[in-house]
Amino acid sequence: MAELSINETSLTNEYTQSASMGTGVWKRFRRHPGAIFGIVVITILIVMALLAPASPYNPEASDITSRYESPSLRHIMGTDALGRDLFTRVLYGGRVSLSVGLMVVAISIIIGVPIGALAGYYGGALDAILMRITDAFLSLPSFLVLILLSAILWEIEIPMLSGNSVLTISLVIGVFSWTTFARLVRAAFLSIRETEFVAASRALGGSDARIMIRHILPNSIGPIIVEATLEFGYAIIEESGLSFLGFGIQPPTPSWGNLLSNAQEYFMKYPWLAIFPGLMIFFSIISINYIGDGLRDAFDPNKVLNKVGEV
Amino acid sequence: MNRSRVLSLLTVVLLVAIVLSGCQQNAPSTPAADSKSIVIVIPEDPPSFNPIIADTGYDALVMELVMLGLSDIDANGNVFPELAESLPTLENGGVVMDEDAGTMSVTWKMRQDVKWADGTPVTADDVLFTYASITDPENGGWIPGIDYIDSVDKIDDHSFTVNYNAVYTGYLTQFGGEQVVIWPAHYCDAAQGFAAWDCARQPLSNGPFVLSEWVNGDHMTFTRNENYYQAGKPEIEKISIRIVPDQSVRKTMLLNGDADLDMWTTEPMIADLEGQPNVEVSRSIENRWVMRIFFNLAAKGTTDPVATPHPILSDLRVRQAIRAAIDVDTISKEFFLGYVTPVWTEFFRTPYICNIPRPEFNPETAAALLDEAGWKDTDGDGVRECRGCETAEEGYVMEMDFITYSEYGEPLELTQQFIAEQLGKLGMKINLKIVEGSILWAASTDGGIEQSGNFDIDIWDDGYSGVDPTDFIYSYYAAASAEPDLGYNYMRWSNDEFETLLGDVYTLDEEQRKKDFCEMAAILEEELPQLLLFTAVNADAHSSRLQNVQTSANDLVTWNAADWTLK
Amino acid sequence: MIQTVGLLLLLSVFLFALVNLAPGGPLSGQGQSRHIDPDKVELLKRQFGLDKPLPTQYLIWLVGNDWMQVDSNGDGAMDGYGTRQGILRGDFGFSFRTRQPVLTEIGQRLPNTIYLTVVTMLVAVLIAIPIGIISAIRQYSSFDITVTTFSFAGQAIPEFWLGLILILVFYAWLKNPFTGDPLLPSGGMTSVDSVGFNLWDRIVHLILPVLTGALGWIAWYSRFLRSSMLDVIHQDYIRTARAKGLSDWGVLSKHALRNALVPLVTLLALDLPYIFGGAIFVETLFAWPGMARLYYQAALERDYPVLMAVLIIGAACIILSNLIADILYAYLDPRIRYE
Repeated sequence: MAELSINETSLTNEYTQSASMGTGVWKRFRRHPGAIFGIVVITILIVMALLAPASPYNPEASDITSRYESPSLRHIMGTDALGRDLFTRVLYGGRVSLSVGLMVVAISIIIGVPIGALAGYYGGALDAILMRITDAFLSLPSFLVLILLSAILWEIEIPMLSGNSVLTISLVIGVFSWTTFARLVRAAFLSIRETEFVAASRALGGSDARIMIRHILPNSIGPIIVEATLEFGYAIIEESGLSFLGFGIQPPTPSWGNLLSNAQEYFMKYPWLAIFPGLMIFFSIISINYIGDGLRDAFDPNKVLNKVGEV
Repeated sequence: MNRSRVLSLLTVVLLVAIVLSGCQQNAPSTPAADSKSIVIVIPEDPPSFNPIIADTGYDALVMELVMLGLSDIDANGNVFPELAESLPTLENGGVVMDEDAGTMSVTWKMRQDVKWADGTPVTADDVLFTYASITDPENGGWIPGIDYIDSVDKIDDHSFTVNYNAVYTGYLTQFGGEQVVIWPAHYCDAAQGFAAWDCARQPLSNGPFVLSEWVNGDHMTFTRNENYYQAGKPEIEKISIRIVPDQSVRKTMLLNGDADLDMWTTEPMIADLEGQPNVEVSRSIENRWVMRIFFNLAAKGTTDPVATPHPILSDLRVRQAIRAAIDVDTISKEFFLGYVTPVWTEFFRTPYICNIPRPEFNPETAAALLDEAGWKDTDGDGVRECRGCETAEEGYVMEMDFITYSEYGEPLELTQQFIAEQLGKLGMKINLKIVEGSILWAASTDGGIEQSGNFDIDIWDDGYSGVDPTDFIYSYYAAASAEPDLGYNYMRWSNDEFETLLGDVYTLDEEQRKKDFCEMAAILEEELPQLLLFTAVNADAHSSRLQNVQTSANDLVTWNAADWTLK
Repeated sequence: MIQTVGLLLLLSVFLFALVNLAPGGPLSGQGQSRHIDPDKVELLKRQFGLDKPLPTQYLIWLVGNDWMQVDSNGDGAMDGYGTRQGILRGDFGFSFRTRQPVLTEIGQRLPNTIYLTVVTMLVAVLIAIPIGIISAIRQYSSFDITVTTFSFAGQAIPEFWLGLILILVFYAWLKNPFTGDPLLPSGGMTSVDSVGFNLWDRIVHLILPVLTGALGWIAWYSRFLRSSMLDVIHQDYIRTARAKGLSDWGVLSKHALRNALVPLVTLLALDLPYIFGGAIFVETLFAWPGMARLYYQAALERDYPVLMAVLIIGAACIILSNLIADILYAYLDPRIRYE
């Protein structure tokens, strides 16, 4: 019992520590104008996507009598080749693109964080093996492999993964996005595992898993959050790139990427078809990058060089 | 480190870059530009000059510039001799029938004034060599009707006889037309095999142009063949083919006068380009391509409609309902901008036109047919289930995949979405898929979607070249063509009466053929294995200065490149 | 070195497995001629050695089969030595699409991709360095704020989108006031009618693809350099140097720039996979005859030998460049010795 109580004390200390760190982060974050701009914009985009069903139009129902209408009060972003309300489709496309972003981040964290944690905590042979695997993934021209993977998955009938669904595309992108997480977490674990409080909890008999999850991980959360933010943006861009090449999410399900790539043929004639989805991608990425920048500064006020410092 | 080190490093990199770019210039320099040169833009390199291997269209495009067949087909569908002096017929004694045996032999006489670009005359030996290469059991290929040939016998240097084991009506274009040419025996390396020989990538020309340069992925240059057998032709001295993958860039190049020809113009682009001052769109005189829907009569993933019938589509009433639910007129008008004509039977072209009444677009009829067939939406989710249907288990949900290919472009994709929506209103759940043609049509052993029966409904276009539909009908509707990889009967449809008629049309008796084809048309109308929607013309956009371009439904636009002139 | 070789081997196993996982496997694409005899497929399988277990196939793919008996005519009996040399000796097999040796195909395209990539990166770095430095020295000046805003915007524009707009503006809309021709060509490496080596022609053809490819990197590197410069400027020894009376420029060149530039070299190497992947958009839009476009075409047509070869060669390039970066790092930073 005694052991436990000491342990609890150290934990409490740590929580107070991280709580004060949290307020400090928030204070610094608030002072970053770009980050605030980013938060506002991305919140608006997310709320819009969530409210998509409130639109009076059906995103997939065509209206042959109103094809290619330019923006008006009735259709504020105009209509597309099948007479569908572009605004509604952009909203639904936002759901798809933002969920791709979220799922990719989730998948990369699920794969990358444990790998980085194990490698950093145990070191030695396990570290060597895990890092060689990470290196292997980093050595591949990842976007080219994405193309190959989505081409292959396209043809295989796997329940839930057929026909390049949101899940398929997120999985494919996610499987090639976890390496940065693994490296960051490994670096954090390497530095933290030698600190006194880890040595202390180890001396107190804390299990490895407990130490990793309850003590080290919370202290390496900064870089993970920053990287997750940036990865969210990359994923949206990569999905739109895949769509441009014809390997992305398939119509009639709209995503910002496939709305944009479908529009490019008639760019000059019906520019609104391309401008609005393009603006959505642009604003989401720019706000995400600002948030990431703000977070980076906030988490690490002394070292702006976070991402590359670990190299 | 100091600044000079960084600078010296950058200098080295810069030098390497310049040297590298210099290395690029190892290709032989091209002759200077002159006013008699044109630029064609295409999206990808042709795989070779032999369209039989990969059939991408781009191979046939360049093949027509440099190679000749025994005959070719013009834009009106008439066959004309190329390497042949004249066309062998029954009347001129070139074709000899053996009525009892049901066989025939065709004797060809070749022109004596055609030479390969190296000066060697084109002879019957080249024809025999080509035939032997195609039929080579290990490295050969396949062309329509090749199995009907027993032997090819040389008579002299410029004549030979083809002996058929049947009456083969397509004999006139068997060694010509849009895909088959005669290859030089003295130049091609037979050991490399028909499918892989080098002479299909560095061809020895006997046509109007000679390939002078091919920078992979960038451009190809063709120059006038000074030894072309037609005196004074071609007038164009140089054709450059630029590889430009992006369609909107190709279109802009055409409008800017940087390109003279962009083939396979889609309907929305025709509409766009028709008002432009510097660009004309040539449209084919004949309609050939028919947009059609294929019903898989066998369950998805299988190829035997008897052992494993399709749970939904094997009921004729469902197929009829689908037809009644599709608004062909709206599709033609809206997505194909009125450039297409609705058709509903294979036999709508001269000389075989059959009178089949046009089916009616009527969603109510469609719904009634589905109700009658036992497909009803009882749980109110908008999708019908089997409630007393004859082809599936009770409660089976009416859900199907609907596939098309990507290369056609936007009009077909919109059509697919529109049809899916109309069927959705009818109570079917339709899942859309768009795949590359090469995957849709690959052999079953390669996971080809159609050949392995891995679909429910498909939509794409095909039609026959020239005036004889026999081979086409055989490969799409014959029972033998329903075997995976042996034909295109992806419906796995068969009908005994139809088989008999199909056997009967292998005759040169025109009246008999007309009668047989129209009886076939009636059977197809009754059984509806395929659903024909409309037919489109071919179109190719070209600059106004390039004259005599005539798009053909029977061949690639370069079929008459020797006749092109510049204004 | 051993690690590098091991890494490549690991990758080759991974890629081989991936492609063999594809439906129809690596013979897909052979069936482009729609009429293929099922017997002939069996024969082809024996000829290609595809009837063997996967590990054996991998080994043959790796080291060839010219040292073992094979069934070259597919009749079921061994009848001589194989002809394949394996990828270790540069034999990547034949493209299904063109029936040409894969290495020939890639050999025609790879230099073009390297050429474009090197120029793009050079331009990106040469523009990013001064921007980054000025931003850092004049932190929070109007220049800094403008540039920072632009660099955020630059990274948020999808590359294919930017390329399309540039073509519209510089090819379709803007004309050369003297000749009336489009201001810049729409694509290609040279003009159709160019004769011999024409430097000006080459530069003109580089402008749009390089701009499209470089913008994102300019934004990223200038931001990076700005923050690493700031980092260095605030270090004590710089303050000391200034206090000692060294001029601003002297401090900059002698201390700050050096320490800020070194990590950039590593960063360049690390970014290579992305540049390689991104080349697919630039090469497709600007009709650039490079390797990424060859890959795209091969992906559309499931030309597996080409796909495998591009990925392996691409990975080798990336590993090699990482190695070079390590060495450069040591060369540029005397404090590090590379063993």
